[in-house]
Amino acid sequence: MLSPYTVLDLTDEKGELASMVLGDLGADVIKVEPPGGSPSRAMGPYLEHAPEAERSLQYFAFNRNKRSVTLDLETETGRTALFSLVEKADFIIESAQAGAMAGKGLGFEAMRQANPRIVYVAITPFGQDGPHANFPASDLTVAAMGGPMSLQGVPDRAPVRLSLPQAWLHASVEASVGALTAHALMLRTNQAQFVDVSAQTAMIWTMMQGMSAHSVQGRDFNRSGNTIQLGTVNLRLVHECADGYVVIFPIGGALFKLVEWCVQDGIIPEDWLTAEDWPMYHFKVLQQQPVAHTIDEVLETVSAYVRDKTKNQLLEHGLAEGVSMAPVSNMEDLTRFRHLEERGYWLTAPLPNGSEAQVPGIFANLTGTPLSVRRWPPKLGEHTDEVLGDLLGLSSSQIADASGHGPG
Amino acid sequence: MPDTLPFEGLKIADFSWVGVGPITTKYLADHGATVVRVETTSPLDILRVAGPFKDSVPGPNRSQFFADYNTSKYGITLDLKNAAAVEVAHRLIAWADVLAESFTPGTVDSLGIGYETARAINPSIIMASTCLMGQTGPAASFAGFGFHAGSIAGYYEITGWPDLPPDGPWTAYTDTVSPRFLAAILMAALDHRRRTGEGQHIDAAQLEMSLHFLAPQLIDYNVSGRSITRNGNRSEFMAPHGAFPCQGEDQWCAVAVENDQQWAGLQRAMGEPDWAKDQRFAHVEGRLANQDEIESKLGEWTKSMPPKAVMEALHGQGVPAGIVQRSSDLQQDPQLAHRGFFRDLDHQEMGTVPYAGHQFRISGYDSAPRSAAPVLGQHNDEVLRDILEMTEEEITEAIIAGALGG
Repeated sequence: MLSPYTVLDLTDEKGELASMVLGDLGADVIKVEPPGGSPSRAMGPYLEHAPEAERSLQYFAFNRNKRSVTLDLETETGRTALFSLVEKADFIIESAQAGAMAGKGLGFEAMRQANPRIVYVAITPFGQDGPHANFPASDLTVAAMGGPMSLQGVPDRAPVRLSLPQAWLHASVEASVGALTAHALMLRTNQAQFVDVSAQTAMIWTMMQGMSAHSVQGRDFNRSGNTIQLGTVNLRLVHECADGYVVIFPIGGALFKLVEWCVQDGIIPEDWLTAEDWPMYHFKVLQQQPVAHTIDEVLETVSAYVRDKTKNQLLEHGLAEGVSMAPVSNMEDLTRFRHLEERGYWLTAPLPNGSEAQVPGIFANLTGTPLSVRRWPPKLGEHTDEVLGDLLGLSSSQIADASGHGPG
Repeated sequence: MPDTLPFEGLKIADFSWVGVGPITTKYLADHGATVVRVETTSPLDILRVAGPFKDSVPGPNRSQFFADYNTSKYGITLDLKNAAAVEVAHRLIAWADVLAESFTPGTVDSLGIGYETARAINPSIIMASTCLMGQTGPAASFAGFGFHAGSIAGYYEITGWPDLPPDGPWTAYTDTVSPRFLAAILMAALDHRRRTGEGQHIDAAQLEMSLHFLAPQLIDYNVSGRSITRNGNRSEFMAPHGAFPCQGEDQWCAVAVENDQQWAGLQRAMGEPDWAKDQRFAHVEGRLANQDEIESKLGEWTKSMPPKAVMEALHGQGVPAGIVQRSSDLQQDPQLAHRGFFRDLDHQEMGTVPYAGHQFRISGYDSAPRSAAPVLGQHNDEVLRDILEMTEEEITEAIIAGALGG
């Protein structure tokens, strides 16, 4: 879909998924790396736990459908080559500290001189300017400042982030949306566009109904463990089963079926069936009307029902009966999930050590322009000759100079 | 002269509901598209009956959960189980460039607004279908919310404390990941259509989009069998790395020491206490091995100050730190004020309410939501008369036939 377009990716781990999204959607992505490689190449987890060059799975996960070009932007030749690439590009994405690119003469103003139709996307923790623009930041502190941490965790311990970094990934996919929005505007105005992405605000949006709580209801939501807050009721969602945990949202028709099954299993007496209008039960609870069985009794009953069944039994039984019982999947469950296998989701990728692995597949199935992985993540500088030679027509000594591998 | 907006003139018939679909179409609406959000009165979009409600008073037109996701859109009601309503839906499909829906697979076909029907009416239409598991596969019929998909996608397993059951993200997490992907896919499909005139059908499974946020660890598992799990706030690669208690009621500051230089910075910020000079802590391996001790000592120091003072002391030494902010703190955040993140919009029933704004700003126009979310059926007349250009007789007939619902 985006095959007419070229993207220059100058990012590190904070932006690599942005250009990968555009690459998966068809764009030609040229990853411009410093002579030492993108910093993400030095981030774990590593293949065989060997923290060596070309072994980073962080890099491998977010750099497919890209070509790698090494450019030493500290040298004049390197910078000249970059500007030649900019002339041929449609998008630039960078994730340096606010103002850093401009400080090196590589910011939006310089780029638009080279290409008056360029879309320039900058990803930073807090945005390009403002009182917090230069705050030292990491995934954890952005999750804190953005708000979602305040909602997660149990009340008697510290608030928690998700145990894996997420902030740069949210900001990155958001940046791909910003890039395409700005591109649509550029087509109308014929003017270069600057897109200023703030990871903090991307994290705010992960709070969902939590982000506007105080301004409309006069009070914040607070962390409450594995529950969903419905009005004044905290409804526990996670129940322990035979081989792990499941998530069940016991409302409506699903609750009626669960009550039926509990009666069949002898967990509760038969009079439960008629004690309540179960599909409407949660409305009564929400409105604090009297009920025959309290919500705690109901949740205990659900817990008793799942206790001796496996995650997969519950999922399959629920699927057949239209009751959603979601396993708390670990990595093994995910890689073995029959549904993903039958949809052909996983792709087999050649790893840098010569072995192969299953990797997450394309984002969506499209009837007209199917997405595909045309290239697996490149080795550092794998396409320097190809891009600088074929695309820019540089000689081999000019290429050596520009890529920081020259004699001097 | 008003600003030129990126998607001005683009027309979207939005039959989606709850989270992912409406957030996706919101991007297009806020940035200029004409989006007609179609709802039924029974059942209501569940976000209309889930809070937070304006002044804590429940009501279908008082939920900011719904409102934040449906800015800049027209709102109409159609009872799609009624043949007259399906006729109106077909007019919308004929008018639109994009048709969006987020029902359980098969639902749109049974309602008479499936892709084959839509394409027959409008050959170049782009139809975006999104659901938890995708349109095909053995679990396609799995209906539910982002809580369910978040659990199946692994996010419960990795959120919380190692000695406690999974905590889960507080929200329906896959609803926060998926709209970003789907909006990008839709914008790319629109660009393709602009150049070729070709429409198509998009099957976007929220599970499949969301798994990309776990990609390094999924690949690691496949290669080494190592399964990542929840670990509070700790990192495999950095220490200390956590949220530390501060002065005040349930106040916290997050601190991430990424390297040995920052560890030295943290010591300076604390005033070089003796405990921190322990050689065991000088390098990351030692700090990772002694996290309990470091966390407890660091917590003693943070406890003596409000979170802002802790954050500023650490920033002064180049150490990443951030207050754990609540929604009330966000309203006061000077950086968000600088960006104009929250926007006051006037809602027909709720009055003026601050809406959460965009995560990116684009030069050249005011990148912000343009109007408040519609109350239920707010634009029934306007859409039928002005957008679909139905005659007074046709509108009356549709109403009498019950097309607009009860």
